[in-house]
Order: sequence, then C-alpha cells, then structure tokens
Amino acid sequence: MDETGLLDRIKQKPGHFSELFKLYYKQIFGYIFRRTGNFDDTADIAADTFMKAFRHIHNFKYTGISVKVWLYRIATNEINLYFRHKHKHNSIFELISTEDKNIFNDHIAEDKREIESELERHEQFLSVLKELKTLPVKYQEVIALKYFEGKDNKEIVEILKINEGTLKSLISRGLEKLRKKCNQF
Amino acid sequence: MQPILTFNIIGMKNDNFEMRLTEMTKPKIPQLKHEDMLGVAIANAKDKSIVSLWWLSVPVFIILMLVMKSIYMPGTTLVSNMSEMEIRNRYSSIIFFLISPIVIIVFNALSIRKIHFLSGSPKLIYFLGAIWINILAISLSVIVLIIYSL
Repeated sequence: MDETGLLDRIKQKPGHFSELFKLYYKQIFGYIFRRTGNFDDTADIAADTFMKAFRHIHNFKYTGISVKVWLYRIATNEINLYFRHKHKHNSIFELISTEDKNIFNDHIAEDKREIESELERHEQFLSVLKELKTLPVKYQEVIALKYFEGKDNKEIVEILKINEGTLKSLISRGLEKLRKKCNQF
Repeated sequence: MQPILTFNIIGMKNDNFEMRLTEMTKPKIPQLKHEDMLGVAIANAKDKSIVSLWWLSVPVFIILMLVMKSIYMPGTTLVSNMSEMEIRNRYSSIIFFLISPIVIIVFNALSIRKIHFLSGSPKLIYFLGAIWINILAISLSVIVLIIYSL
C-alpha cells in the first residue's frame, strides 16, 4: 500500500481518510482492546484516536515513521490519558447522524457481544491483563506492544519515541514485576 | 478453555515467563460491523465554527422586527426605529448590534485561521467549502454593524 499516495489524496480531499480508516481501524481497535479489556472504552478511545488523526493528518510529514506507527502513537497517548485521568472520552455516538443512530447502535451491540465472548474464551490473557493494569503505564505500554501485539523492538521504539536501551530495561523490569504479580496467585 | 496462567509460574525465570506471554493466545478482533459507518462519519466530520450562526439570530431577528415595523407603520424607517430602540434601551441595543457582531467576527476569523493552520495549505476550493459558514457569519455580522452605524 502506497501511504504517500493515500496521504496526498487525503490532503486533496479529506473524504479519502475513510480509506486509511479502513486499513488500520481494526488493528488499532484490537490494540486498545487488549490494553483496556473493555469494549465501551475501546470504542470511545479508538474513535477519539481516529478523530485526532483526521484533524492532524495534514500536518503529518514523513520523518522515517509510517502512518501506522503514528496511529499507534496517538492510540497509546489516548490510552494513557484514559488510565491517568479516567478521562471522559467523547461518545462515538455523537459522530453519527441521528437517522443512522439506531442502525449504528445495533452494530455496536453485536460487536460488543461478539468481542466480549471472545475475551471470555481467553482466561489466561484476562488474568495477565488484570495484573498488568496494576503496573505503571510505562511497563504496560512496552509489555502490551511486545507480547500482546507482537511488535519488534524497532517498531516499539518508534511508537514510544524511546531509545532501544531504555526499551530493553523497561521490558526486563516490567516482566520481572509482572511475573511477581502473577506469582502472588 | 485454556488453563489459567497462574499455575506453575512460581520460581519461573523471566525467560520462561516471556515465552509463556508470547505463546499465550490473545483475543482477536472479528470483522467489526460498526466500522464502515464510523469511518464515513469521521471522514465527513468538520471543524465546527467557534461561534455558530445561531448566535446571530438575535440581532438579525431584532433588525427584521424593526424592518417589519417600518413597513407596517408609515412614517418610520429602519434607522429611525433603531434610534428609537437605542433611546429606550441603550445597553441592549449596543450589545445586540455592536458587541455581538464584533465578537462573532473576531471568533469566526480566529476559527478560519485555525482551520487553515490545521489543514496546512489546502486547495482553495476545499478550504472555502470548509469555511463557508464562518464567511456567512462574518458577512451577516458586518451587515448588522453597517445597519446599526447608519
């Protein structure tokens, strides 16, 4: 996928943002969901992430990072806001026109049912996530990106804007803390 | 149903624990049904004007009332009716016809600047498409100001 071409099209006609949305929404939604473990919060944070991306996409310039990394960066900031302040996110329902709200409501309800039942099938994951959420955010970020999302160090360094040495030490200390937490069961 | 992780990790070293985390299955996201509608809604969202056009409804409504009065009451004009209103209630006429249009002009001008800044240098046609409501609000405010200063 040629991101430069898509970015040019979006700059000329903002409506093309829906192509970018289609490319990355599910992936970003998954990342947020595996960080929060809550469907409603995930839906709001994901919508806020893409709203923010839409507002600032015209300022996005290639400086060696891809749009995907940039979206992960925005999503990570939005998740941190959520953890730090239990920040009230704008409801995604506000974005949908009144006549479409009922259909959208139905779709959201179906997605919620399906995703929550998928989550229930992963008890191991749920118990680790529960413990992970008690750690400081800096450890949550690296552990979730590495072990839940399967990102390599290079990508994590780009997303979090930290150097590799810091990343390795955060992973090591984070793992140690999480292991101890899991030991307490 | 998967066994819970909590079992035999006592005494486990980070390497083993790391392996367990990597191998542990994670919830996957199915095709999301709400995705398409949300994508379209976000792509169609626009920065809203700081001051909406509705704010102008009060001075415009009063001017329309005075116009009607000058039509249906012979011997009066819009300007004379406005002067009469100013004598009766000096502050409200200043607020309606002077302060509110100036505030609307300033905020909408700032709003246009904000949209321009956020969009980099968008093509003129798209830029005008995004700011038409601000231009309309500024134009109506200028008209109200001109009528008031007559």
